[in-house]
Amino acid sequence: MFEDDETLQMYIEESLEHLGDIESDLLTIEEAGENIDLDLVNNVFRAAHSIKGGAGFMGLTTIKELAHHLENVLGLIRNQELIPDSSRISVLLKGFDELQTLLNNIQTSNETDISNHIQALEKITTASLPKEKLEGKQDMTPRMMDIVLEDGRIFQQVSMNDIEQAVSEGKNLFLVEYDLINDIHRKGKNPVEVLNSLQKTGTIIDARVDFDSVGTLDHTLEPVRIPFQVLFASIIEYDMAETLFDISTRFIHAVTDNMVTASSSTRPDASHKTMEMQATQDGTENRPAAPVQDVLEQKQERAAPAGASAGEVQTAKASAKNGESEIQLDQKPQSSLRVNVGLLDTLMNLAGELVLGRNQLLQGINSANTKATELSSQRIDMITSELQEAIMRTRMQPIANILNKFSRVVRDMSHQLGKSIDLQIIGKEVELDKTILEAINDPLTHLVRNSVDHGIETPMEREQMGKDATGKITLKAFHDAGQVNLIISDDGRGLAPEKIAKAAIAKGLITEQQVTDMSEKAKMELIFLPGFSTASEITDVSGRGVGMDVVVTNIQSLGGIIELDSTPGQGTAIQIKLPLTLAIIPSQITSVGGERYALPQVNLNELLRIPAAQVKEKIEKVGDAAVVRLRGELLPLLNLAQMLGIEKTFTDPETLEEQADRRRNLADRRSKKHLTNDDGSDAGSVDEQADRSGKDRRYRASSAMNIAVVSAGAFKYGLVVDQLHDSEEIVVKPVGRHLKKCTAYAGATIMGDGKVALILDISNLAQMAELATVSEAGQIARAAEKAAETQKDKAALLTFKNTDSGHFAAPLNLVERIERIKTADIERIGDKKVVQYRGGALPLYELSQVAEFDPLPEKELQEVIVFKVKNRELGLMVTPPVDTMEVVLDVDENTLKQPAINGSMIINGHTTLLVDIFEMVKILNPEWFVQEARTAADIAQNGEKILLFAEDSAFFRNQVKKYMEEDGFKVIEAEDGLLAWELLKERADEIDLVVTDLEMPNMDGFELTRRIKNDPRFSHLNVIALTSLASDAHIEKGKSAGIDAYEIKLDREKLIAVIKKYLHLSQK
Amino acid sequence: MVDDKIQDTAAQSLEFSTFYVGGALCGINILNIQEINKNFDITQVPQAADYVKGILNLRGRIVTIIDLGAKLGLEPVTESKDNRNIIVNADDEHIGLLVDAISDVVSAGQDDIEPSPSNIGGIKGKFFQGVLKTEKQLIGILDIDEVLKE
Repeated sequence: MFEDDETLQMYIEESLEHLGDIESDLLTIEEAGENIDLDLVNNVFRAAHSIKGGAGFMGLTTIKELAHHLENVLGLIRNQELIPDSSRISVLLKGFDELQTLLNNIQTSNETDISNHIQALEKITTASLPKEKLEGKQDMTPRMMDIVLEDGRIFQQVSMNDIEQAVSEGKNLFLVEYDLINDIHRKGKNPVEVLNSLQKTGTIIDARVDFDSVGTLDHTLEPVRIPFQVLFASIIEYDMAETLFDISTRFIHAVTDNMVTASSSTRPDASHKTMEMQATQDGTENRPAAPVQDVLEQKQERAAPAGASAGEVQTAKASAKNGESEIQLDQKPQSSLRVNVGLLDTLMNLAGELVLGRNQLLQGINSANTKATELSSQRIDMITSELQEAIMRTRMQPIANILNKFSRVVRDMSHQLGKSIDLQIIGKEVELDKTILEAINDPLTHLVRNSVDHGIETPMEREQMGKDATGKITLKAFHDAGQVNLIISDDGRGLAPEKIAKAAIAKGLITEQQVTDMSEKAKMELIFLPGFSTASEITDVSGRGVGMDVVVTNIQSLGGIIELDSTPGQGTAIQIKLPLTLAIIPSQITSVGGERYALPQVNLNELLRIPAAQVKEKIEKVGDAAVVRLRGELLPLLNLAQMLGIEKTFTDPETLEEQADRRRNLADRRSKKHLTNDDGSDAGSVDEQADRSGKDRRYRASSAMNIAVVSAGAFKYGLVVDQLHDSEEIVVKPVGRHLKKCTAYAGATIMGDGKVALILDISNLAQMAELATVSEAGQIARAAEKAAETQKDKAALLTFKNTDSGHFAAPLNLVERIERIKTADIERIGDKKVVQYRGGALPLYELSQVAEFDPLPEKELQEVIVFKVKNRELGLMVTPPVDTMEVVLDVDENTLKQPAINGSMIINGHTTLLVDIFEMVKILNPEWFVQEARTAADIAQNGEKILLFAEDSAFFRNQVKKYMEEDGFKVIEAEDGLLAWELLKERADEIDLVVTDLEMPNMDGFELTRRIKNDPRFSHLNVIALTSLASDAHIEKGKSAGIDAYEIKLDREKLIAVIKKYLHLSQK
Repeated sequence: MVDDKIQDTAAQSLEFSTFYVGGALCGINILNIQEINKNFDITQVPQAADYVKGILNLRGRIVTIIDLGAKLGLEPVTESKDNRNIIVNADDEHIGLLVDAISDVVSAGQDDIEPSPSNIGGIKGKFFQGVLKTEKQLIGILDIDEVLKE
C-alpha cells in the first residue's frame, strides 16, 4: 500500500469532499427520475472516477473495486440505459456510504468485505443490459482490454466501455508514463495534483504505478524510474500532448485501435511485464463466488518476485521514516482544514504589519519617545484585532457541511416510515467555528430525526387533516445579534401539551399539581426533561429514551440556547442560538475576595446594584435561600464568595447585612495572615497592597450589593459578587488536570496585567448550589401559592408605619383617601386634634392613643389616612411609606393581640399589625356606637335573627361573628360549605339568612348556594357571599349560582346593612 | 519515555536538580525540568485540592502550581525569598512545584541510586524512585508521576 502519508491524507480528504457532494447530487438525480440531468450525473461519475483513479494509485484495492462498480452503474445512467429510480439510487447511496466508511478507515480498507455491495451493483448493471446484448456478448459488462505498447509492455485490464466511450466522444487516447521521481517528486508535485490537473483537460480512464519496470534495487545501473502510468482521454491532439503533460514525448504513447487487444479472461501470471499493485477488478467480477481464492492469489503475488520490488520500495520509505509511520498507522490522522488562499494572504500581511509595529514599538521605547510608543501601541492594538478576526475566520466553516447530509437522513427515514417529506435548507453559507460545527452535528441530527419521525404525519393522516400530503421540514441558518441561529421547523402535527404533560406525570417526572399551573409552552418544554421520550413506542428511527435532554445539554455546553415553539396540528419550530466561536468570548469581569473572575457574556442577562439603604428591603428570604424581587419575579441569589468557600468560617447566614459585616471582618483576618506569609518575599509588597485595597473595597462593598443576573439553560439566578468591572474579550485557556474536578470553572484566562483569572461556569455553579431550575422554582412557588390560596383568602390592605419601626396595615376598602397636611394646620381642641378640611373639621388620631405604641414624632408635614366609619370621616396620622398590596391573610390573632389590633401577620418579611379600624373608632368615640347598641338590643328583643355563617378562616370567622353579634344577631358558625350544608339541614327552621365565604375547602360557597337555591326546603333563604376580592368573573359565577349579594369581608358597616336589608329590618 | 532514553544512553551519569521541601532534600532528574522561576503572581483557585497553590501565567500558558510540601504530606511551603517554582513537563502539561529553596545540581550514576526506605524525612516512600547518598546527606529522588497524581 502506498505509504506517503501526506499524499494519502490528501487523497482521503479530497475523496471525502467528493463524496459529500455526491450524496446531494444523487438525491437530486433521484428526484429528477427519467429526466436525467447529464451534468449532474457527469459530476457524480467524475467524482467516483477520481476516487477510483486515486485508489488505484494508492493501492487501495477494495476502494478501487467499489468505486469502479459504482462508476459502471453511473455510466449506464449517463448513457440513459438505466433509469435512476429510488431503489437503484439507494444501492448507489449505500455503495457510496461504504466507500466513505472505507476511506475513513483507510488502513483496514483492503481487508473489508464489500461483496454485498458489489453484488447489488452488479445486479443493476446486468439487469439493465438488453437481452440480446447479454446473449451476444456475455462479457459485455466487464469487458476488459489490454493495451500493448510498442515496446511490448502491456497496460492491461482496461474497461472497453471506457475506451469506446472516449472514442465515441471524439477524444484521443494517451498512455502517459510519468516518472514518480523525476517528473513528480522532483518538480515538487504529487500524484494526486497531477491527476487533478489532467482532469481539467480530459478524462482519466485509469492510473497505475508500474512497479515491474522499476527493477530491483540490485540492478541500479540504469537511472531508477518509477513509471506512473495514466490512461488519459482528451480532445487534445497528439502534437499538443507534450505541452499538456509536461514530459518528453518518449513517454507519451498515443493509443490506437490496433494496440487495444482483448484481455485474456484468466488472471495474468506474475511473469507479465506489467504488474499491478492490487488485484484488478475482473478477478472478483468474473469469479465473485471465489473471493478466498482471489485473496490467496494476491498473497502469492505479493510474495512473488514482483512483490519483492514493490516491497523494497515500501521498506525504503518506511525506514526513512524511522518507524514513526508505524505508530501513526494506528492513530487517526490529524484532521486538517482548507483555508481560503485570500485569507492566508491577509494573515501574512497582518503578520508583516505586526512585525513592523513591533519594530516601531521597540524603537519608540529605546529612544524613550512617548509619542512614538503610543502610536505604535495603537497600531499593534489594531493589527491584533484584525489578526484575531482573520485567524478566527480560518476556523470558520460553512454550516452546509453538516446541513447537507440531512437531505439524505430525511430521504432514508421518510422511505422507511412511508412518509413523504420535502426538506428545505436555507442559509447554507452561514459560517460557524469548526468545533461548534462538529459539536452540533449530533443534536441537529436528533432534532431532524424527531421532526421526521414524530413531527410529520403519514400522507394519509395529512390528507385527512386537509394538509398537503407531502410534509415540509425547513432547516434555516442565519446570523443575528452576533450569534448563529438555527431553526428546525416542520409542518407536522406539533406537540400536544396535554399528552406531554400526561406522559411526564406517568413517568413520574413531575406531579399532577405542578401541571395544573403550567402554561401550554411550559408543558411542551417538559420534553426537555431527562428521561422523557414522546414516542408512544420507541422506533429504531428516533428516540431511545435518551432524547431532548441530551440535545439540550449538548447545546448548552456550547454556550447555546434552545427554544421551542409549537402549535398543535400546525407544526413545531425549534430554535437554537449558538455563539460564533468558543475560543474568544466576551465576558464580564467581576471580583470576589481580591481575585477576578470572568463571567461569560452569553450567560449574563443584566447587572443589578442594590444600594445599601435598600438591601434590607429588596433582599427577601424564602426558606433559607436569599432571593431578590426583580420586576415581580423572584430571583434566587447565589453568593459567589460563599459558593467558592472563600470565607470558610462563614457558616450560618442570617440577614444579608450581617453577611457583609462578617465578610469585612473576615477579610481583615485574611489579610493579616497574608501579611505574615508574604513577609519578605518578593511578591509580598504587591499582595499587601492588593489586600489593603481589598479591605477598602470591601468596606464600600458592604454599603451596596452587586448582583450579576445570569442564566444558563433552565437556571436563572443572581450571582452576588464584590465588584463588577469592565466587559472584556477574553481568550479561553484550559486549566491543568489537577483542576479538572473544580467544576465551578469553565477555564482560565490571562488578563491585561498578566495575571490569571478563572472563568465561571454558570450552569455548574447553579448545580453546585442545588438551585432549582426556573421552571421548578416557578412551579414550586406557584404550587405553594395555589395551595395557600385555596386555604386562605386574599385581601387588599393598606400598609403604613406608625413610627419608623412599627409596620401596620388596615383594610383598604375602609380607606377614603390619603392626605398630607401641614403640622402647623393641626388645631388642638381639648385633648383632641382636628384639622380644617373641606369646610369641616377632620378629627385626627394616632395609634398611640388607643394602644401602647410610640407617639408620632413631630414633623413639618404629616401623612393622614382618612377612613370613613358611620358616615363620618376621621384621620389616622401615620408615617410613610404608605403602600397598598394584596396579601393572603394569615393572621395570628393571639401573639400580639392588643386593643384596636386584630392580630399580626408577616408581610414582606416584616411583622405587620392589622389595625381594627372599627374597634379603634369605638375606643376613641364610644358615643358613635350608642345607636348600634340600641338597635342590637331591639333586634335581640324583637325576635332573635339567626344567621348561618360559613367561613374557613378562623380569623375572619371570629371577626365577622363578632360584628354580627355586636349588632344583635345570633350566629351559627360552620368551617366550610359542607358543614354549613349539614347544619342547615339539621336546623333549617331556625336559620333566617346564610352568609358564606366563597373559597372554602370541601365545598365552596358557590356549591353551597347552588344546593340551597335548588332545594325547595331552603330556596327561600337569601345568601350573602363574603369575599375578599370580588372579580367580575366571580360575581357572574355567583349570580348563576343564586347568590343574592356580595360583600367585602372587612367592611363591617355595609355587611350589617345588607344583612338587615335582607332580613327586612328597618335601619333606625 | 525520557527516563528510558537516559538509561539507555548515559546510564553512568544522571543529573539531578535538588531542592528543599520541609527540611528534606529532594531531587528531580534535570531532564524533567522545564525551568525554575520565582514568579509568584499566583491566582488562587477556590475549591481546588489543598495542595494546589493556584494558577500562574507562564508566557501565555496556564500552569498549575502545586505546593510540594502539602502534596508530600508535610507542612505547606512557608513563604520566603528562597521559594521557587520548579516547572516540570508531565504528559504535555506544564506543572509548577513550589519548593522552599533550591540547591545544587548533583551528578550521579544510575548505580548510586538505592531503593528508597518507607519514609524519608517524614515523606512517604511511594513518592520516591530511590535515594542518592552523597558524602554529606541523603537526597530523595522524587517519582514525578507519583507526585503529580491528582
